Amino acid sequence: MQGIWRNLQLSAAFNVEAHEETYGAPAGLSVIVDPPDGKLPYLPAAREKAKDNWEHRGRDPVGHCHMHGVPRVMVPPFPFRIIQDRDYVVMLHETEHSLRIIPMDGRPHLKDYSSWDGDSRGHWEGDTLVIDVTGLNGKTWLDQAGNFVDENEHVVERLTMTGPNTIQYEARVEDPTAYSKPWTMRVTLGRQPKKTELIEYDCIEGERDVVHYPK
Amino acid sequence: MSSTIRSDVEQDGALRRVGNLPAWGVRALLRRRITNPPQAASLHYIALLMFMAATLCGQQPDLRGIWKAPPAANENVESVAGKIAYVPAALAKKHANRPDGDPEHRCLQPGIPRANYSSPFQIFQTPDAVYIVYQDVHSYRVIPLDGRPHEDGIPLAMGDSRGRWEGNTLVVDVISLTGETWLDKAGNYHSDAAHVVERYTRKDQSTLQYESSIEDPKVFQKPVKINMTLQLDSKGQILEDECVEDAKGSRHHVSPFKK
Repeated sequence: MQGIWRNLQLSAAFNVEAHEETYGAPAGLSVIVDPPDGKLPYLPAAREKAKDNWEHRGRDPVGHCHMHGVPRVMVPPFPFRIIQDRDYVVMLHETEHSLRIIPMDGRPHLKDYSSWDGDSRGHWEGDTLVIDVTGLNGKTWLDQAGNFVDENEHVVERLTMTGPNTIQYEARVEDPTAYSKPWTMRVTLGRQPKKTELIEYDCIEGERDVVHYPK
Repeated sequence: MSSTIRSDVEQDGALRRVGNLPAWGVRALLRRRITNPPQAASLHYIALLMFMAATLCGQQPDLRGIWKAPPAANENVESVAGKIAYVPAALAKKHANRPDGDPEHRCLQPGIPRANYSSPFQIFQTPDAVYIVYQDVHSYRVIPLDGRPHEDGIPLAMGDSRGRWEGNTLVVDVISLTGETWLDKAGNYHSDAAHVVERYTRKDQSTLQYESSIEDPKVFQKPVKINMTLQLDSKGQILEDECVEDAKGSRHHVSPFKK
């Protein structure tokens, strides 16, 4: 899995559900594969909040230079690098130079952790890299459309190579205070051409803007 | 003498080529070397054989681990570099640099070499690259080892790094730095002309020697040379360090632990 990858279903960066085009954003089919209707199984209050987020898309934490969180960090139009080194898988993302260090040695999760990209622990199930992510801060959105998760989010990601240049990426999200049941999204990641390098991406302007820091 | 050096170079070239040759090929190579040893001292020859063995096994010196620098370095780099000889105009600017002007307070990435002593970092290695992940504002560096040329022309807070092994030492050449990063909290700084050559050597299981030379004729009369010993943190984990700046421009690290 080593190399530089990028999500091939970019419309998911705008909206993980099926959506028509808006200015600057292409239309796209839902990347939610469970439930089968492709819709996020929001609880009523959470659905209202998602609608409110849509009305106030300027609140998007990524627009204020915060990190994407999981699983959103896997879908933006920025490349990322997967490194496999003995007891670790490391993901270096171009966007906001965010990164995930994923121990593969079976150590337990950190306690009382609360961060944008969470605390990841990985293991192999056959040829599938399975990553369990806890310690997420619940401030992240899932896309630019205002779909979101809260602090009870727990993600299990599954990365499987489906060819030399493609990875099937699945994230099963459990969040009983926002959703009536767990749901799963799936996108394909494509290997980037050989000459690709990650270029430094600094997001500074918004970090100055703590007023918009999600509370 | 010169023929010996050439012979070593050829040896090195041969090594790269043999790569994964079957054992008979390696034996033939060794036999040829043993029956016709070079004129150089035998120690050199043994070192060469050890290097060959390591190369054939695909091993690099192991720099992996989480490393921590002496805290004094980030307070004032002169604690690990000695007195810096600035050119006169640059010395005046250094004296004018106040703590609240520290780019750290604007949540900027620490730059090179400061990243190596502003927070713990973790080294990862694959055969074709070394990766350094710094806790400080989740910055990282990819250091290719395949001899590709620098990417020049895009100024980068963390610079453009190219690495190579010299024996047990990882040597990293860094250019394309911005003139916006400082060397410490005391206002020592460099310009966008800085050229940094770093040397990482593992001394034993728990220590890593870090040396670097910063050439920067715009601000230094002679290269600044940093030399410090880093300690292994065998139980730690690199944590998420988000930095947010408030309206007054002061910097807040956001703790990744629940209050």
